[in-house]
Amino acid sequence: MYIIEATNVSHYFSKGDQVLDQINLSVKEGSIYGFLGPNGAGKTTTLRLLLGLIRKQAGEINIFGKPFDQHRTALLSQIGSLIESPSLYGQLTAAENLLVWQKVYQCPKSRIGIVLDLVGLSNTGSKKASQFSLGMKQRLAIAVALLHSPALLILDEPSNGLDPSGIVEMRELLKKLNQEEGITILISSHLLPEIEKLVTDIGIINHGKVLFQGSLEALMQRQRQASSIVFDTNNPGEALRLVQAQNQGAVLDQGKVKLPALEPAKVADLNRRLVGSGIDVYEISMVENDLETIFMNLTK
Amino acid sequence: MMFLHSIQSEWLKTRRSLAAWLVVIGSFFIPAILFSVRLIYSEKLPTDSVKTDFWETLFSNHWQTMALLLLPMGVILATSLIAQLEFRNNTWKQLHTTPQYLTTIFMAKFTVIVAMMLQFLVLFNIGILFTGFVPHLIFGVAIPQQPVPWGYFLQQNAYFFMDCLPIIALQYLISLQFKNFLVPLSVGLGIMLASLISLEWKYNYMMPYTHCSLNFYTIKKMEGVVNPNINFHAWALGYFAIFMVVGYVLYLTQKQKG
Repeated sequence: MYIIEATNVSHYFSKGDQVLDQINLSVKEGSIYGFLGPNGAGKTTTLRLLLGLIRKQAGEINIFGKPFDQHRTALLSQIGSLIESPSLYGQLTAAENLLVWQKVYQCPKSRIGIVLDLVGLSNTGSKKASQFSLGMKQRLAIAVALLHSPALLILDEPSNGLDPSGIVEMRELLKKLNQEEGITILISSHLLPEIEKLVTDIGIINHGKVLFQGSLEALMQRQRQASSIVFDTNNPGEALRLVQAQNQGAVLDQGKVKLPALEPAKVADLNRRLVGSGIDVYEISMVENDLETIFMNLTK
Repeated sequence: MMFLHSIQSEWLKTRRSLAAWLVVIGSFFIPAILFSVRLIYSEKLPTDSVKTDFWETLFSNHWQTMALLLLPMGVILATSLIAQLEFRNNTWKQLHTTPQYLTTIFMAKFTVIVAMMLQFLVLFNIGILFTGFVPHLIFGVAIPQQPVPWGYFLQQNAYFFMDCLPIIALQYLISLQFKNFLVPLSVGLGIMLASLISLEWKYNYMMPYTHCSLNFYTIKKMEGVVNPNINFHAWALGYFAIFMVVGYVLYLTQKQKG
């Protein structure tokens, strides 16, 4: 079952300024969906539309199988969110901030202590939120999002402002919430390395269009397909002629023969042919395109 | 029930806020000055004690600067600050992703502003009573013979409250629309100045921020300023209703909510 289904959603900020172009988004129940794209790609606009912060202009948005427009309040009671910078009342303490939202959600007061423990802010006492570091504010904002035990978390770049250890802690926390409490998470980021260690599914957006959507495994598959084998020999010209006879995709690149990745047996076969023709093979190497390169290629 | 919870949540947000401090400081500001005056001129206390209109005079002295200047200014500031709480803290988006109807949010916030106004009136009247009684106790002079005219106090406070409603509603409307605090503040102060200038005008009751001043002039029985044939309280309520409806519609139809 899909928790979020956005179909053909388009959005214009003004005439001619299209921010989203018929995007489709499907987030599976129980998944951690990484929504990836460079700055200005349309990630935040999409998340704002999903939460009803911007009025929908075109397309359909269903959450938990129900149209968002018609079931806004019922659906929002099951969603926790953090959009862009943390939303906190600076003059209030961490516990008071949570109390503000506890009154609205009418969840048990004991949840305040639980979520503060969860994000490691239970010892902040009477310190005002305005005196918190950016990392602490970010964690308190996560606590706000988790307060009412939502079934779906929508987080927009939640690791902004966190130091490396904070990012790791956040990742572990989100994994734990997903695995132990079954919370579906939609998380946006412009940093692929941060996402790839966390997510099960991925969507890549750029210039308002979704360029890829699928499992992380499918993206990895694409990564493998984009890898290549390089032969470093004493006679590149002759080596290229021999290899091209077996594989049309071979090219000469910086004095080396380069061709799309092959199965190990075929690599061994090519090596035998080269050596058999009197060519010295100095090195056979695999050049793997990392996810970052794929992301860059997709968003070019 | 949801509405009550929303009000509780909104009220919590005002804790330690500038608006909350403004209500407390603002309500005791004039009483503190007049209290000091009564202490300085303590020789007048015995004659004050026997005055038959002691409380009405004291009430009117307190309301003079308050009605003309400080109350409209305080309402402009406090109302703008309440909406500013969300803009400054970047919390509109969080508030609008809670499972509340937009009407509930709009009305809960408005109710809190009205509650603060009532809180101000209660504290201000406590201040008046304090100024009336305490100097006599300090100097061992008999307390005022005239009993406190509770009905008069209640009626006049109700009028001032009613006359403030258009200011609250228009400031609320503007504050919800503009992130920049200076917009509601400058518009509010501009209308307030225009209203003060227009007091000489025979149609002064048509200016939305004049009604507190007009109520004060009614108390002072100053003819020439207040047209006795016009019910300016009704004008205040009319403006209040218009500003509320316009404010509500504009709030509901905002393209971006945070």
